[in-house]
Amino acid sequence: MAKQFKFPDVGEGITEGEIVRWLVKEGDEVKEDQTLAEVETDKAVVEMPSPYQGTILRIHTREKDIIKVGQVLVTIGEKGELVVDGAEEAKTAEKPAPATGPSVVGIVPESREEIREVLATPKVRKLALELRVDLKSVRGTGPQGRITEEDVRAAKAAAAAPEEKKLAFKVKEKFDFYGELERIPLRGVRRATAKRMHQSVSTAAHVTHFDEADVTELVKIRDSLKTQAGEKGVKLTYLPFIVKALLAAIKDHPLLNATLNDEDEEIIVKKYYNFGIAVDVPDGLIVPVVKGVDQKSIFDLAGEIQTVAEAAKKRSLDLADLKGGTFSITNVGGIGGEAATPIINYPEVAILATLKIKDRVRVKNGEVKAIRTLPLCLSFDHRVIDGAEAARFMNDLVAKLEDADFLGRAAAGKE
Amino acid sequence: MMLNMVQALNQAMHREMERDPRVVVLGEDVAVDGGVFRLTEGLLEKFGPERVIDTPLAESTLVGASIGMAVAGLRPIAEIQFMGFIYLALNQIISHAARLRNRSRGRFTVPLVIRAPYGAGVRALEHHSESTEALFCQIPGLKVVVPSTPYDAMGLLLASIRDDDPVIFLEPTKLYRAGRQEVPDELYEVPLGKAKTVREGEGVTIVAWGAMIPGAQKAAEMVEKDGLFPEIIDLRTLAPLDRETVLESVKRTGRLLVVHEAPKTCGLGAEIAAFVAEKAIFQLKAPILRITGQDITVPLAKGEDYYYPSPERVAAGIKKIMES
Amino acid sequence: MIGKFDPLKGERFQVLAENGQANPEREPKLPGPELQKIYSLMATTRAADLKALKLQRQGRIGTFAPSLGHEACQVGSAFAIQAKDWVFPYFRDLGTYVTLGLPLKNYFLYWMGNEEGMHIPAGLNIFTITVPVGSHLPHAVGCAMAMKSRKEAAAVVAYFGDGATSEGDFSEALNFAGVFQTPNVFICFNNQYAISTPVRRQTAAKTIAQKAIAFGFDGIVVDGNDVLAMYAVTKEALEKARAGGAPTLIEAFTYRMGNHTTSDDASRYRTEAEVGEWAKRDPLERFKLYLKTKNLWDESFESRVQKEADAWINKAIAEAEDTPPPSPEDLYIYTYKEMPPDLSEQLSELRESLKAGQR
Repeated sequence: MAKQFKFPDVGEGITEGEIVRWLVKEGDEVKEDQTLAEVETDKAVVEMPSPYQGTILRIHTREKDIIKVGQVLVTIGEKGELVVDGAEEAKTAEKPAPATGPSVVGIVPESREEIREVLATPKVRKLALELRVDLKSVRGTGPQGRITEEDVRAAKAAAAAPEEKKLAFKVKEKFDFYGELERIPLRGVRRATAKRMHQSVSTAAHVTHFDEADVTELVKIRDSLKTQAGEKGVKLTYLPFIVKALLAAIKDHPLLNATLNDEDEEIIVKKYYNFGIAVDVPDGLIVPVVKGVDQKSIFDLAGEIQTVAEAAKKRSLDLADLKGGTFSITNVGGIGGEAATPIINYPEVAILATLKIKDRVRVKNGEVKAIRTLPLCLSFDHRVIDGAEAARFMNDLVAKLEDADFLGRAAAGKE
Repeated sequence: MMLNMVQALNQAMHREMERDPRVVVLGEDVAVDGGVFRLTEGLLEKFGPERVIDTPLAESTLVGASIGMAVAGLRPIAEIQFMGFIYLALNQIISHAARLRNRSRGRFTVPLVIRAPYGAGVRALEHHSESTEALFCQIPGLKVVVPSTPYDAMGLLLASIRDDDPVIFLEPTKLYRAGRQEVPDELYEVPLGKAKTVREGEGVTIVAWGAMIPGAQKAAEMVEKDGLFPEIIDLRTLAPLDRETVLESVKRTGRLLVVHEAPKTCGLGAEIAAFVAEKAIFQLKAPILRITGQDITVPLAKGEDYYYPSPERVAAGIKKIMES
Repeated sequence: MIGKFDPLKGERFQVLAENGQANPEREPKLPGPELQKIYSLMATTRAADLKALKLQRQGRIGTFAPSLGHEACQVGSAFAIQAKDWVFPYFRDLGTYVTLGLPLKNYFLYWMGNEEGMHIPAGLNIFTITVPVGSHLPHAVGCAMAMKSRKEAAAVVAYFGDGATSEGDFSEALNFAGVFQTPNVFICFNNQYAISTPVRRQTAAKTIAQKAIAFGFDGIVVDGNDVLAMYAVTKEALEKARAGGAPTLIEAFTYRMGNHTTSDDASRYRTEAEVGEWAKRDPLERFKLYLKTKNLWDESFESRVQKEADAWINKAIAEAEDTPPPSPEDLYIYTYKEMPPDLSEQLSELRESLKAGQR
């Protein structure tokens, strides 16, 4: 008996996803619980286990298709069975699984439809029926928004205007006036990144403050800990130290660890410290969050950063790993560059970009020297943080990064 | 702004707690977790643990302590996680909250709001689909309120918090996120004790509340093609009942259909049928009809559809009463 | 052991250290096959729980309360229970059911939303799952009072979580038990959380076991991730109860590794670090290490256990999914012994409306 497998509600109010990869093809024999496909929701990739054992009779969606909760993904049955499109056993006729909101038990249906009261007397309703006007689409001009007879007749007249026949499909040209084109559909992480970047830039008042730290001491301390790190099996980069220095600076400048709630017009300062560490993945940027950085040692941080970066690249992060961030760090320096103007990770209010550590010619105590420096670029939301505050914050950050005692205490787990 | 019912109720609490420092919220998992349906999201962060309190798992004392707080000058909003667990607090509600004003001849009063998710239709576990509002309607001294839209929800909750009597505020779980509605930015109230005509009609008056309102509206749409245009009244407050609005409507339409998801016998529909029969029998053109839940324990998920008064059943009821 | 480990002094009973080494004085005298049976029950519980999670993801089961991490306290305690004893579970008891022999199909049926799941087969003295927290404790005491009056040498076990200890029913029930000296064994799974409420916000008492003192009987804190400790203490408490002795309160100190239910998101109120700490105390791993020291575990044993568990679980799921949903009659005939006329009328109306397609 052929059975359909529909995209179920995988939680968190997710209503749609994108098929990243089919792991089976039509004709394959599958076991119960065998992973059929990888589906991407927001930024996490979810494995879809097969609810049935049998032969894949038909795969109804392709890779890169966007699917909605309740949509049929695949039909599984016995080899040679016919698959009738849209056929369903009357007994198991189901409505598509509704989008749901959080709750401890049960399935609370979620809809974003507008609730509008349709006020109309029976006479008006009868008229609307006769004229085939949908009252829900009519705005009433009568008292309290009541729909009048005139409103109904006016709606009918407007609808009677001839409509252009809409094309059922969109034509996508492979060239334009000037030459050939390559069309790349906006999908997956790229699509999500595009949305988030736009949202961030169009809400926050972005300003970037540039500074630089002399990392002579930092380099020394990190080198001295290389063996210890090796024993613990972690790769120790500069990032954990930067996190600790940031933490110290943020404690004196709590507005950097906040969010601006536009609706209620209030700044919400977070009293916990979850730092997002941007990871470059093939089609975009993912920012997994390391939670409670104040409760973790330098080595803990190094290990966890390594783990989440790998998970991000393998796309095996949980949704929970992407939430709860209060501040973000993006390290472009690994690749190169002297300065950057990073975009804030909405809805946070600040992001720090670290650039390439290298020797640069600087003047120290009147002498021209080659010093190892680390360029730091802080983008911040000027609606919440003023330039002066940002500058003071950066001064503190730089001071901590150059403070051998502080770095030593951090390494010993005392910060 | 466009809000669903959860957001409207959440906003109502935010705004009122801001306006009146005596308002406090208490319940299980309401503070850190923001409530299991996220109704109290953000309140702890804004108002602190003195005013947003996670209690131990103890409904009777949760309500009992709220009564004490109310007597001492606070205006508590006590959240019971599901109506199915309010039974543990019945003694505190009936023996004390409802009658303290009377017992003390006005010296001690209880400006308390007890909120709970209520009603079925969400495939929930046992005890998570209850609708025993009639129990509370029968107790003198209590007010009972059930919103059916985000706008009403916010307005009624604000009015309930400001009301100096104990209010049982029942929130239809099925409607929590079922659509969004335009809600004013400034504070407003929807008065308690006033029903609302949500659909003008003729020939029959449907009286309903909560999740039965969208159901009744769907049913009304279904019968339009048969030339039937029922009037629908959303009671909004179940106690005290707005008898005037109901009587005025029934005297005009001549027929009464009551719809509720609670079991039939001794449900609120019985009281409505009784007072309409008392006051408008000569204007009735047909026997009163009640489309309700049945006199059985609310079934679990697999049997829920048999129990729940669907729009189809209401539509059938409308046709039946128009034919009789 | 009971009475010798004072909860007020912070003493906690343990047999197996975290590395699987057993305390020789406390090791229960169980033959090899019995120990292997215990392991098999724990592994089956784990497999069934993870499978249920998958089913929920596939929409084949509704919300349910996972038992991840509770394998030792559930199986260890239940292994000491005899067929003549009565058991009153709460709602997080998968391992207990597996050990006592409740058909797994029943368990799945219940969480799928079919009351037939709680139609406990005759001969099994297991009460229904109780959703209102702690409200089954007075039932457990009443049952024990009846058995005592009939001079039955049997015990009545009640399971509940740390949250339940705040309900009035808990205090009233245990008070009765103390006054009437009922043959009850109260087993509290203190898994540190009641949804989002941590136990230190549930009670200011340092342990739950010490609450027994207020009611006039003994309480003991046991390492809830140590299956042999749970077995040993429960066995002693049951023997004490059956012999006409006083009630006992056993606190199994453990951790809720999963969410409260599949609709809960525990990351909102607890840290990964904390969960990670407890992951190191996995009850299955510890018992496996112990069995290895006794040459009772090897890879072929493990794979046999997993195979048998999977087969058993899949059979139960198939049976549950083949069970038809309740009929209209089913919803009505269990309201009263004999259906009163007005209920009959309503049933007819329901049948009529179904015929007319009004669902």
